[in-house]
Amino acid sequence: MGGPIILLLLMMALLSHEFSPADPLKINSRNILKSPSRENLLGTDQLGRDILSRIIYASRISFSVAGAAVLIAVLVGVFLGLLLGYFEGWLQNIGMRVIDILVCVPEIFIAIVVVAFLGSSLMTLILTIGFLYFPQFTRVTQGITLSMKRREFILASVSVGAGTYRIIFRGILPNISSLVIVQTSFTLSFAMLLEAGLSFLGLGIMPPTPSWGQMIGELKNYIYINPLPVIFPAIALFLAVFSINMVGDWLQDRLNPEIIK
Amino acid sequence: MLQFLIRRSVASLIIIFLATTLVFLIIHLLPGDPVILLLGEQGAANPEFVDKLRKKLKLDLPLHIQYYEWMKGLSHFDFGNSLQNDVPVIQELVRRIPRSLELIFGGLLISILVGIPIGVLGAEHPNGLWGWISSTFAVLGFSSPSFVTGIVLIIIFSLSLRFLPSSGYVSFSENAMENLRYAFLPSITLGFGFVGVVIRMTRASLLDVINKDYIRTARAKGLSEKGVLYKHALPNALIPVISILGVRAGNLLGGTVIIESLFNWPGLSSLLVKGCFDRDYPMIQGTLLSIFVIFVLISLCVDLCHALLDPKLRQEY
Repeated sequence: MGGPIILLLLMMALLSHEFSPADPLKINSRNILKSPSRENLLGTDQLGRDILSRIIYASRISFSVAGAAVLIAVLVGVFLGLLLGYFEGWLQNIGMRVIDILVCVPEIFIAIVVVAFLGSSLMTLILTIGFLYFPQFTRVTQGITLSMKRREFILASVSVGAGTYRIIFRGILPNISSLVIVQTSFTLSFAMLLEAGLSFLGLGIMPPTPSWGQMIGELKNYIYINPLPVIFPAIALFLAVFSINMVGDWLQDRLNPEIIK
Repeated sequence: MLQFLIRRSVASLIIIFLATTLVFLIIHLLPGDPVILLLGEQGAANPEFVDKLRKKLKLDLPLHIQYYEWMKGLSHFDFGNSLQNDVPVIQELVRRIPRSLELIFGGLLISILVGIPIGVLGAEHPNGLWGWISSTFAVLGFSSPSFVTGIVLIIIFSLSLRFLPSSGYVSFSENAMENLRYAFLPSITLGFGFVGVVIRMTRASLLDVINKDYIRTARAKGLSEKGVLYKHALPNALIPVISILGVRAGNLLGGTVIIESLFNWPGLSSLLVKGCFDRDYPMIQGTLLSIFVIFVLISLCVDLCHALLDPKLRQEY
């Protein structure tokens, strides 16, 4: 059920130019905070910009930031997890403890401080969010790797003389992919929420580039003048997160039926 | 039991100590010269100002001396003074921490009061109406970002019904009733995000427990269905729920950031955001540290409750 929504949103993101009726950056000070009308299907924001267009372009930003960040998190996290899980020793033990602690930290606080200091360029945002979420992947990967290591087919590879590289990448990696895929979908929604939260506070995507969180943050101040504009980016964000979670749940059911939710 | 308590407390203290070091490192290793940022372009052009501010902030001292000063200050709760108005950071922290705790507590209360009954009903009628309601509610709660819930609530209750205020704060000592009125919407918003987790966990855990042997025994002994539920099934089923609470305590704390900003609630998280915008380094340090400490303490409390309820845990130690 979440599938169609996701596809629609993704299409919106990729084909923003075709979909959006107006220029998302065009200011029109005589037309501010208007409700939906024939010209502006979802109304206008506090600078007169068309909300529908901004929402469409914002989908681009939200998806790319979340996607890129999760990509980094997956690459770094899984790689580290494989290493920590496969090789044993005191260094690995320390590493695992550190990862355990890192997983517990509430990400948003670190994100706020880091972005406040390092600025809110796209690169900084992506890297920060990516690094905040890699420990979860490491933990999942290392757990699986540890248990996989003792399985017969791995021991068989070792006895035949397979090199470490081959064992890790050909033997273990394919077996963890289902877990990683499920984790990726959930982390995607978290990353999107984190970016939205930062933008909401004024620390994330800076105007005039639109982002759903940023739009909500700006428009919430005008609720008493006109509550309608703020609802639309909120719905967009909700739909995106909701559909990602639905897809994630579905993947979870398909790929990992034995794991209790 | 005492042993467990001591072990966990010691572990928490160690973590708090590590947190203080971590906070120091975060602030001092991030690139960007604080002095230049604070003085702005014009001020920074004047080397005299730069030097004076640097001395005042003690940034000219080597890193390990700064670290020592920081730790020394912490030992008698001196977090330094705010760069904005030279008021001791600890003063503002003490004012704001209870406010955030109030929201967290409120959110927890609401999510427990609403979540557990719905979860129980969902477990009792898994394929009936309540089962469907509990699943849907859970997913909605889990997926709704706090801003969305908050804004919807504001629009319904503040705008249309004009029943509850949408922002602001009145302290408890001034006017308890008003304080609760202002706290109501933010707490519900915070709780709503969490209620989904509670519902799911309660339902799954209760379904799990209902099939256990000791429940069959209780029924065989002649205990009424309600008696079985409330005396035997529920208490055992709630244990995993409490442990989930501990794990997700961080989420609740993180949730306060958005909520405090949305409702203009002057709590700890908004202090952090304000400090970041103002580049108020002592404030940021103090606030970040307090947040970590609160997080550790919440986890500790939840672990203790968990151990109280589940004797098996105590035996491990």
